[in-house]
Amino acid sequence: MNPYRRSPFIRLSTILVYAFLYAPILVLIIFAFNSSRTNILFGGFITHFGPIKMVGSTVVQSPCGPFHWFCELAKNRDVMGATRNTLTVAIISTISSTIIGTLAALAMQRYNFKLKTFTQISLYIPIVIPEIVMGIGILVLFSQLFTFLNGFLGITGDARLAMGLPTVIVSHIAFSIPFVTLVVQARLQGFDKSIEEAAMDLGANELTTFWRVTFPTILPGILSGGLLAFTLSLDDFVITFFTTGPGATTLPIYVYGLLRRIITPQVNALSTVWVLIVFVIMLLLQRSQKKTN
Amino acid sequence: MLKRFRENKSFQGTILATPTLIFMVGLLIIPLLLTMVISFGTRSADGNVIYGFSLHNYARMFGISNECPNGQSTCFDPLYVQILWRSLSLAFNTTVLVILLAYPLSYFVARSHPKRRNTFLFMVLVPLWTNFVIRVYAWMMLLRTQGVINGVIGWMAGLFGLHFVPFEMLYTPGAVLVGMVYEFLPFMILPIYTSLEKIETALYEAAADLGANPFRTFLKVTLPLSMPGVVAGTILVFIPVMGTFIVSDLLGGKQVVLVGNLIQRQFLDARDPTFGSAASLILMVMTLIVTYFYTRKFGFGEEIISV
Amino acid sequence: MKDKIMKVFVMVILVSLLLTACSGGAKPTTSPGATEVSGEFVCPEPESDIQVTSKELNLFVWTEYIPTEWKTCFTEKYGVTINHDEYSSNEEMYAKLNAGGSNYDLVQPTDYIIGLMIRQGLLQKIDLSKVPMVNFNPSYLNLPFDPGNQYTLPYEAGTDAIIYNSDKVTTPPTSFQDLWNPEYAGRMVFLDDSRVVIGMTLLTLGYDVNTKDTKQLEEAKIKLATLIPNVKLFDSDSPKTALIAGDVDLGITWTGEAFTAQQENPAFKYVYPKEGAILWQDNWAIPTDASHLDAAYAWISYTSQGNMFWLMLRDFTYINPNQAALDYAKTNQADLYNAYINSTITNVPLDAIANGHRIEDVGDATPLYDQIWTEVKGGQ
Repeated sequence: MNPYRRSPFIRLSTILVYAFLYAPILVLIIFAFNSSRTNILFGGFITHFGPIKMVGSTVVQSPCGPFHWFCELAKNRDVMGATRNTLTVAIISTISSTIIGTLAALAMQRYNFKLKTFTQISLYIPIVIPEIVMGIGILVLFSQLFTFLNGFLGITGDARLAMGLPTVIVSHIAFSIPFVTLVVQARLQGFDKSIEEAAMDLGANELTTFWRVTFPTILPGILSGGLLAFTLSLDDFVITFFTTGPGATTLPIYVYGLLRRIITPQVNALSTVWVLIVFVIMLLLQRSQKKTN
Repeated sequence: MLKRFRENKSFQGTILATPTLIFMVGLLIIPLLLTMVISFGTRSADGNVIYGFSLHNYARMFGISNECPNGQSTCFDPLYVQILWRSLSLAFNTTVLVILLAYPLSYFVARSHPKRRNTFLFMVLVPLWTNFVIRVYAWMMLLRTQGVINGVIGWMAGLFGLHFVPFEMLYTPGAVLVGMVYEFLPFMILPIYTSLEKIETALYEAAADLGANPFRTFLKVTLPLSMPGVVAGTILVFIPVMGTFIVSDLLGGKQVVLVGNLIQRQFLDARDPTFGSAASLILMVMTLIVTYFYTRKFGFGEEIISV
Repeated sequence: MKDKIMKVFVMVILVSLLLTACSGGAKPTTSPGATEVSGEFVCPEPESDIQVTSKELNLFVWTEYIPTEWKTCFTEKYGVTINHDEYSSNEEMYAKLNAGGSNYDLVQPTDYIIGLMIRQGLLQKIDLSKVPMVNFNPSYLNLPFDPGNQYTLPYEAGTDAIIYNSDKVTTPPTSFQDLWNPEYAGRMVFLDDSRVVIGMTLLTLGYDVNTKDTKQLEEAKIKLATLIPNVKLFDSDSPKTALIAGDVDLGITWTGEAFTAQQENPAFKYVYPKEGAILWQDNWAIPTDASHLDAAYAWISYTSQGNMFWLMLRDFTYINPNQAALDYAKTNQADLYNAYINSTITNVPLDAIANGHRIEDVGDATPLYDQIWTEVKGGQ
């Protein structure tokens, strides 16, 4: 019997669901080449190369031809700034939360200490709490704290504590830690301690054992947790919305702001680039996997 | 202190957990406590908080009102309870639909050739890596009266010479549901897949050998073993839907007031942070209660998260 | 496994480097809503002699409200980096400022919220000697919401009134009361603004748009509840989108949106209702804790010059209180000037202004308005 046999019903459903998942992406990509600047209806492709010429709100000619909006995107400082912020926040918060979360997972899985139950509960809360509740709570905390500290320490002007990139990063770390911990903890649960004991019997001390035995085995879990944290941070809107400040706009916030005006196809061009990058990463990973197999 | 660290296991544990505790207490527990304190306050004329202890915000949320049309002293105003109920229904409907759509796909991937599985999974994840707001916006383009879907159907109807009245899809509760289902589908696919993947092929063969038809196999073998995945997925879907305001704003044309919208408006338009805080806490407690009863019946599903 | 990790990290770093490198380009992008104006914009010289030592300026302004050239020219002439944050409602701006912990130098409050902001100590007094007061049309100065312009300076003004597509609407509306016409059911877009929508309902009942009388408000609530099901969507961000896309045929919108919609499709008409339109004015204001005051004053002075402010006629068409800009446009940008003068949307007839109503903050009645709004919307 073919172990990979699946009924036609399953196959059809799968195709339909994948189509459902990708229909909006397809629309996004096609509209990235929209000649109509208002981007409400599709006005056809830009076919002429040359200096920019417009008829009403339709672009009929562009130095970049059909790729007009991609060129506009590259010149758009706001988007680049927002992208830079998003990546900065994502990278810093991912690295931090992964380290902190892994440490916590080790603590929860292997030790008994006084605050263990309290820690466990507090780790579950961000997962079950709606983001808006957490976002508002953090905003209230930071604004009260900053107002108090600025007044108490007499800080004025630019040196004042204010909402900005640091507050966003700190909030992202906070909501990522529980997810990392959960994933690493699950990985640790399946871990066989006898290997560790064997290593120690063979003369390795605790540190060496950890680095050469434990760590490599839980590494997939740590990476998964890290990837999860990265994805969560990259796309976060609600919490960032409440914790951001001047010059700290991230991509989701910027796009949300864009949605409130005439949205030029630049937004679509941005999404297309994003999807392309992800596909490229995916392909590279697939290739490297094939090699190691 | 280093010596104490080496010898005392409990101390080691505390040290490892300390950074986490700092973040959780500082950015979660304390803000929640602050929100609670504010929820017991009263609104000043200009919208600031007068600290005190009053339950009137909670009373208002649950409909106990003092301004009664018939001159009674207290009566029931169901306005906010309706909003809570509406959010619950949307979350419930979304979750059910998401399970129905996710399950076949997860099953397909779980039972495909091991070499292909990662590819299928990545294909599910790629849309997630685009921007959440942009994806909602794409649905607006699809569902508009002069949008893509109506355009395609209209063109096909034109081929057959049929007159086509475009569907009014955007700015309806249906559009909000579609948007919610779309956004959270991947969060159900992955957990269900993980739990299905653990089922050994041999089990299916054994069931077939024992004479079970595919339907019985599904009911008695597949479904029970995949429950941890369904549970984990439900938690990852139900809770965010309860608190979302963007999807209903953009796809629903701001006609429908859900809890997320209500809370957001209290802090902005109404300038009533006391009521907004109370609503936030009630939302949180409701979510916790639902999660508690659900996981008590079905388990928490941690087993499926392992990599 | 290890080279998988390496590859991911390398890609991420490469991507970030790539995107950072792409942030060059001194050419300003065309602002949406603009007609192409031939030739590059040459930055005019600043007319004031304000010296600026600050290196940054933090703007907190409405979305779609600042011409790109202002930023590039200001940076060019004063060497100041501009941080440009946006909001799409006064309440958002107020909440951010009131919460404390933010660090903005300039904001653009609309008239009704200024009194509240002054009471809360969020704004500082403006030194009028540092700004070119002569550039402003006196009709927009010394208004009831800020007598003597102690805290604000005019930016742009506008109205909220009725817009309809004359190709699709057979009986054009002439008053707010007309919106209750069953013929319009399911074809309208309203602003998602409790004060405007409840306010116009109050006007149809002959009441004041800023009333705190609970009986009048109850009446308005009941009347409004019959209308809300006829509204297809509420949108205070971009109502023209639904109009241009044909999702709706008429509704309530504001000056800028109406002008842009009409440019897209001349069939759109903007009508000042019989009961009187809502008048509003956006203004520059300086938060109490602004840290770059010199840059703020330099910015206001520079952008209020006639040869700078006329760009608003090109990009964001509203009622322009800057007479110097209009005079400049009359001689140098005749097409834009004529488009402005010939449209009743931007050049509002005097009787419409006289008939208009301004929204004011209603203090402790604010939650009541919000409650009514929740109720009428919640009855779905």
